[in-house]
Formats: sequence, structure tokens, C-alpha cells
Amino acid sequence: MDVAGQHAVLRTELHEALDRVLNHGHFILGEEVEDFERRFAELCQTPFAIGVNSGTDALILSLRALGIGPGDDVITAPNSFVASAGCIALVGARPVFVDVREDYNLDPALLERVITPRSKAVIPVHLTGRPADMDGILAVARRRNLRVIEDAAQAVAAEYKGRRVGSFGDFGCFSLHPLKTLNACGDGGVVVTHSPELCEKTRLLRNLGLRTRENALLWSSNSRLDTLQASILLVKLKYLEAWTEKRRANARFYQENLGNLPEVQVPADAQHERAVYHTFVIQADRRDQLKQFLADQGIGTAIHYALPIHLQEAASSLGYRRGDFPVAERQASRILSLPVHPDLRPDDLEAVVAAIRNFYRA
Amino acid sequence: MQVNFSYLDRQFADVDVYLKDVRDLVLSGDFTLGPPLGEFERRFAQLMEAPHAIGVGTGTDAIAMSLRMLGVGPGDEVITTPNTFIATVGAIVLTGARPVFVDSEDGYVIDPTQIEGAITPQTKAIVPVHYTGNVADMPAILQIARRHDLAVVEDACQSIMGAIEGKLVGSWGATAAFSLHPLKNLNVWADGGVIVTHSAELAETLRLYRNHGLVNRDEVEMFGINCRLDTVQAVVGNRLIGQTRQITERRIANARRYDESFSDLGEFINIPKRRPGVRHVFHLYVIRVKRRDELLAYLRKNGIDAKIHYPIPVHLQKAAANLGYKAGDFPVAEEHARSAITLPGHQHLTDDEVDYVIQKVRGFYRG
Repeated sequence: MDVAGQHAVLRTELHEALDRVLNHGHFILGEEVEDFERRFAELCQTPFAIGVNSGTDALILSLRALGIGPGDDVITAPNSFVASAGCIALVGARPVFVDVREDYNLDPALLERVITPRSKAVIPVHLTGRPADMDGILAVARRRNLRVIEDAAQAVAAEYKGRRVGSFGDFGCFSLHPLKTLNACGDGGVVVTHSPELCEKTRLLRNLGLRTRENALLWSSNSRLDTLQASILLVKLKYLEAWTEKRRANARFYQENLGNLPEVQVPADAQHERAVYHTFVIQADRRDQLKQFLADQGIGTAIHYALPIHLQEAASSLGYRRGDFPVAERQASRILSLPVHPDLRPDDLEAVVAAIRNFYRA
Repeated sequence: MQVNFSYLDRQFADVDVYLKDVRDLVLSGDFTLGPPLGEFERRFAQLMEAPHAIGVGTGTDAIAMSLRMLGVGPGDEVITTPNTFIATVGAIVLTGARPVFVDSEDGYVIDPTQIEGAITPQTKAIVPVHYTGNVADMPAILQIARRHDLAVVEDACQSIMGAIEGKLVGSWGATAAFSLHPLKNLNVWADGGVIVTHSAELAETLRLYRNHGLVNRDEVEMFGINCRLDTVQAVVGNRLIGQTRQITERRIANARRYDESFSDLGEFINIPKRRPGVRHVFHLYVIRVKRRDELLAYLRKNGIDAKIHYPIPVHLQKAAANLGYKAGDFPVAEEHARSAITLPGHQHLTDDEVDYVIQKVRGFYRG
């Protein structure tokens, strides 16, 4: 993604936003943070949004607000960015993994099997910007009394059956990392919720438990979205819808032009969802050679992610081994993320398609 | 006259030099862990006369991360003082450990003679707070820690450049936590923190831990968190860090003028004992006074932004309810909460402003 290019275009607006914050000097929880929270909540169709320091912290604070900690199990998918499981370990709970479906998202049919009396919550990840099967997941969660925290770090403005992701669970957690679709100029995150009580608790948790300057209701650290970052995000929010549509159009181009290649599997859109394509992930025969071939022609691709979380050294104490999650493991060896960001030009897209076709034709 | 507690409007009166740096960064698009952060960490370490500095999200995180990487967790106890900003305690609780308080001495730092009385088999660490910019009695604390095999994490959030006999804060404990919050002596434009350590091994672990445990883009050695000092804040820090010594000197000079000007008001004003050999850097200029709340109202009415740090000691906060403390447990800290007042002492005060504060305080008591 061409962050520098994006900022060159927004230069004047960003500078004005920065100047405003520098002039009023309220660097911590200034009015821009509140303003951003209000508008982000609207975007997610939830009454409350709370700006925090990162997408990882959004997950950690959500778990804390729900009282999840040592002795508890939390279920998630093994094919996400490590933060999805790291946050669980961080609060002292145990990450429990469930395999995914072809769309890279948690398979609700497998969910029930791993539930034990220790299970307290499930964290579905809307990986690649595609919504997880929320009907399936919520049905199990309701039946088995699990809390639901949506990891929507890659899926801002994605929709499932007409509703925005983040608005289904007890909490929706978003990342505003520089490489995300809605991106700050540093780490940032945001939590959304329907519950006034959970909102209040999360606000306390992100600000040292302080209700006023002098009164601490609970212990916590501080994890606040910086005012400066909020001012930048307010500028970018205006462009989010256009950027998202551009990503979707880029994805459509790939789907139409790569869909008939037998060596490549492109993601399919379903009628009931709006995928926002934070990444456009294909599965490809001879993936590593293809990646190298594309790199030789100046086309940057990435693998999200090469090693599933349950096989990471960090997970060794959890007792998983290769073969436990066959779908995620097979995908890890075949997936490749093509450039899909909004600054791509038509000839960029055509070049990517042509290169992939050439690779398999040769 | 209006004398503010915050000086940010003066610090950034000429904002263009900062903006130019920030603009360059914004256009580069390199926002996480880039070269400006490396430069800031190098310069911070140099300033602290320590081999390693790691930029993190906040000063609170710097404490919590240090404790975690030293193995502190559920079932453990960590000793600190109730005379601090609540973040010190929040950081301990975050690790799952239990905070245990020891009263402070006259200078708002932990009383080392009472520490051993609080040590149990569960005690794992001591977090001395160099509160207000004063420096806790580190030689005494380290002796106790060695005797009982306890880790020491210095909460140096308010005391950058503080020292005992020339040995800087941050060079005593296993690690030290610094804050770069906008109101700190060395500040940035948002939350920020730094961990300083002399241990290469701890530095390595902390670097992994602050970045999801990632050894490279694809491999995770341990589950970590995402807690990095923003690169854009490192850019601001790189502009300001060269001024740290002058900032410190100016704050010390302001404090000295206050001390001298109030020395004959002993019946109303209690100036904490200034320990010889200690460089107190006066992040906060705190004295204890008679008729505190009246003085506060009087100064505010006269445009002086005096403050109370803090009216409720940590052990009496609602958050501490389950720790089982009660009023009377820490008489020194509790007395401080009743009588302490903070006067503006920052580096941008003019001599006239300091004189004005002195004149108003003296006027209040002497009429």
C-alpha cells in the first residue's frame, strides 16, 4: 500500500488538521478523539466507540472489560495475525483454536466441539476484510453462553446481511495501523459496543481507571488514541467509502480476470456480504515460485500469514501440532496476497493479471 | 498575571521546526519502528548513560512490561508506595500481581526503613517511585532487594536526569520506566514511554514483547503486545531531547528560588528536606502548607494554576477496595494528601512569573 502517495494527495488537509491540534495543545483525549469516536460509532452502526492505542489493545481491553482472565478459555482462528491470539494469552486466558473455512474465517460447525466449561468467549476474525459467518457463530455463542468479540482489525465498513461488522458482538475491535484501510500515522485502535456499561468500563480501562482526575475506580494502564492521530483519522474518514469501493472494484477486476485460471483460486463474494478487501488473497499452485516471479517483475505481494499461530514457537505450551487444523495449514502453503489498495491504476492491475497468466502459461 | 501549570503553548510557540520534521515523516509513510525511533532510543540511552533504551506506548506500559519480563505475575506481590500517581499501581495489577504499599518519607519517596516489614514469601519485586522528580534512596533499596532476591523496577516517569551522587535514575534497577507524556520534563505530543536497562538480554526480550513477539514478519517467539513509541512521536522527541539538560537546570533553579523564598515561613510551609547528594529534578514542585485548600483557591483566583498531586492517596481509591487497606495505614502519605500543594515550576516560567507566585504565597500567609 502506498501510504506516502495517499498522504501527498491529502497533504493540505492533513497539515491543517495537525496545525489545529498543535494550536490547542490537548494532546491527550482532546476533542478530536471524541469527534472521531462519534463518527466511527456511526460508521459501525453502534451507539459507542472508544479510541485506544492499537487494535491489539482493543482486543485486550475488551477481554478485560468482560472479566476474562486466568483459568478461562477463549476460542479463535489459527490463521490470523498473531495479535488475535496474543491478546488472549496476555490477559492470562488460554487461546483455543478452531479451523477455518475456504473463506479463511472461523468455521461455526467446528466451534461447538471445543467448548468446555472454561470457555468464556469466541473471537471471530473477519480476515482479509470478509465478514465471518456471524449467524452461525452467534447461534452457538447464544446457546453455549459465550461472549463474542469481533476482531474486525481488517474489516472496517464490511457488512454482513446489511449490518456493519463490529456491531454483532459484545465488542467490535478495529485497528487503525498505518497499513489498514482507515489508517493513522502510527499505532491506533478503536472498540465499538452497544452496551453503555461495557462502554463505560472500557473508557475507564483505557484511562488508568480514572473517572475524574482524582478518582480511580479500578486499576488499569493507559491506552488512548492520540489526539493527533484522531485529527488525521477525521480527515481520512471522509475518503473511506471511496477507498473501500476502489478496493472492491480492484478485487472484482482480479475475480473477473483470474477466475478462469485452473491453477489459481480467487475469493468469491457472497450475496449477503460486503467484503472490503483489506487483502486480496488468492490460493495458487507453486505459490513460492509465483511470488518470486512477480517480485522479479516489480510486483510486490505478501503472505498473510506464512506460519499459522498454533505452530508458532510462542504457542508451544498450548500443545497443538501440525495436522490439527488442516484447512488453515493447507491455505498457509498456498495463499498469496495481491496488491489491492486504492491507489492502484488500471494498468497496474492489468500488469498483475498478465504476469500471473504468463507464469502459468510458461 | 496568569501563571500556567502547562507550558505547551510556550514550548510549541514556534511550531514550524517540528511541523517540518513531522511533515517529512508523514510523506515518508514510515510510521512504525522506523529510523527516527532508532535514533531517539540511541540518544535517550546516551543521555541516561545506559546501553539500552526501548521506546514503548506509555510510562505505565514501561512499568508493566518490565515487571512481566522479569517474571512477575499472578500470585506475586510487588512493593511500592501509595504516594504516587495511580498508574504505578495500575501497572502492577495489570501483571496479575498484588500491590503492597509501604509509606513514604518526608520527600514523597518510599521509606526504605519500612520495606522489610512488608516483604513476604510472595514478594517478587520493588517499584520505587522517584516521585515529583525526587530520587528514592536507591542504595538502601538495592541492599534490601539483594538480601531478599527481589527485582527492582524504577518508576522514573517523573524524574528524568535525577541522580544520587551523579549516578542517574535508570542505572540502579533491572529496568527503569520513563514517561514522555505531554506534561513531563521531556515530552512528546501524545502518550509515550521508554524503558532503560543495562541488561542486553532484558532489552532483547522487551523489544520482542513490545512488537507482538515477532522475531521477523512471520515468526513469533512469544506472545507479546503491540506497545511501540510512535515514530511520529520519536520525531518530536528527537527535536526536544537535546534540551533535556537545560530543562532540568531551569526547573531546579526555579525550585531553589521557591525554597529560598519560603524558608522563613516555616510555621506555614513545610519544605521537604533536600537530601545532600541527590539531584531532585522537580517535575513537580510540591510543598506542604497550612490552610491548603484556602491557599489553592487564593492562588487560582490570582491566576496561578496551582494543583494538588493528589488529594486521595492511592490506597484509599475505590480501585483499591479489594486490597484491604484503610485510612490510617499510611500516615505520612495521608498527611501529604491533606496538605500538599504543587506550584508551577516548569522551564518556561519567566523570573517575573516565579516572583509573582512567591509574592502571592507570601502575601497569603503574611498579609
